[in-house]
Amino acid sequence: MTYSSFFYSEILAVFRRKQDVVNALVFFLLVITLFPLGVSPSKEFLQPAAGGIIWCAVALAVLMSVEGMFKEDFNDGSLEQLVVSGLYLPILVLLKLLVQWVSVIIPLLVLTPILSQMLFINWEILWVLVLTLLIGSPALFLIGTIGAALTVSLRRGAVLMLLIILPFYLPVIIFSTGAIAAAQVGQPYNGQLAILAAISLITLTLSPIMAAVSIKASVN
Amino acid sequence: MAFESLNEFLSMGTHGPFVWSVYGISLVLLFGCYFSSMKAKKDQIKRLKQRYLREQKS
Amino acid sequence: MNWIWFHKLGSPKWFFQWANKWSKFAFFIGVLLLTIGVVWGLGFAPADYQQGNSFRIIYIHVPTAILAQSCYLGLGVAGIVSLVWRMKMAPVFIKAVAPLGAVMALIALISGAIWGKPTWGAWWVWDARLTSVLILFLLYMGVIAIQNSLDDMQLADKAVAVISVVGLINLPIIKYSVEWWNTLHQPATFTITAKPAMPMEMWLPLLLSTLGMYGFIAGVAMWRMQAEVLVREHRANWVKKEVLDNGI
Repeated sequence: MTYSSFFYSEILAVFRRKQDVVNALVFFLLVITLFPLGVSPSKEFLQPAAGGIIWCAVALAVLMSVEGMFKEDFNDGSLEQLVVSGLYLPILVLLKLLVQWVSVIIPLLVLTPILSQMLFINWEILWVLVLTLLIGSPALFLIGTIGAALTVSLRRGAVLMLLIILPFYLPVIIFSTGAIAAAQVGQPYNGQLAILAAISLITLTLSPIMAAVSIKASVN
Repeated sequence: MAFESLNEFLSMGTHGPFVWSVYGISLVLLFGCYFSSMKAKKDQIKRLKQRYLREQKS
Repeated sequence: MNWIWFHKLGSPKWFFQWANKWSKFAFFIGVLLLTIGVVWGLGFAPADYQQGNSFRIIYIHVPTAILAQSCYLGLGVAGIVSLVWRMKMAPVFIKAVAPLGAVMALIALISGAIWGKPTWGAWWVWDARLTSVLILFLLYMGVIAIQNSLDDMQLADKAVAVISVVGLINLPIIKYSVEWWNTLHQPATFTITAKPAMPMEMWLPLLLSTLGMYGFIAGVAMWRMQAEVLVREHRANWVKKEVLDNGI
């Protein structure tokens, strides 16, 4: 096995398990629908809250999709194969995550303009929203992987993973909704975006290693 | 003493219920910490002792 | 610097005997200081000119809040030690201290909420410090949850170490982001929370009760760690000897 063959097989696997991606997207849609139904469908509420609603939904949907990332590989033993393959495990985790990220974030970006109309977001703000999604979501995926790797050996690890990982998502949610809120009142939002990028970069360096440690511990 | 009488001390101006409830709750929780930790150690020693004695007999 | 003490602490046997000697000492000194600090603060410190007597909650609120953060710092450091040097005592430390830290955060939260009622007129205000203590509490609950859900002890040790390290790295980011978020949302009326410079008679009991809380937690944590050492090392000869001879 080489890095490229692993990458190729991951892409194939995503295409064969399209339903997982669809599930995450439907979940995302459902969470967003809850807010107009549960709180208020008025423009006065939805317009200022839209950034927060979308980001909370994204965080939950990402957790949903990341949770099952190693499950199947763990059950059929191919995770063990990866550990003993002699390739550097953090890189493998990163490749797997890259495929996962692209497969979720592209449909999400396609959905976002439609949703933003439902939540009364202006076109100028939509651009900021897309930017925060692109810059901030890698951090969500990267932090989530650690949780997925830790709970992979548990039969019902989803709730546990939610419990552990969600607090770590708070800074990302705070700064991305902050950027959107700043854009809505016409203030500069570059600072927030820079911090988002910084968080994504920090997690990019750290979490593959942490996830690899956790996978090794789980497989034994 | 910052207070003239015991009554004044207990009522803490008008804030008595707040202050005393905080200290009451904290006392209970801290005592719980102490008790559970002490008991954990004692119980474990008791359990091990029984086990070792049983092993010695057999 | 001499690192022998550090390596000695990594040995369960040495730790157990060391803790036998020092745990009671730390605990009683802690309780003594805590009592002096609290009695002094409750009875003798002057009332705050703004908040009246409700400020006396500070002598429980601040020590527990500080301890909650210190314990988490300890978890993170122990996590690094556990992952890098694989010392035996590091996971024991994490397992023993996490629940204590959670209780500290809980007391800080409850006392903060009760303090908030007379000060702000509401039980809960989304104040930066209260919110970050709440998040700290949630982080502790996560560590405890994963410790209890994983049956395989080695995996559980690794898992809590990973989570503690990630938490340690994340804690400053979370704290900073909550503060930033807070200044964005908070109306200016709540600046009462900014601590005015304290006179000596208020500050000294606070120092005493904080030190006392450290001693209390250190003593209790040592007992918990000893109990955990006994569970893990029950096959070792020294444990058998300790339990049978000293009849503890």
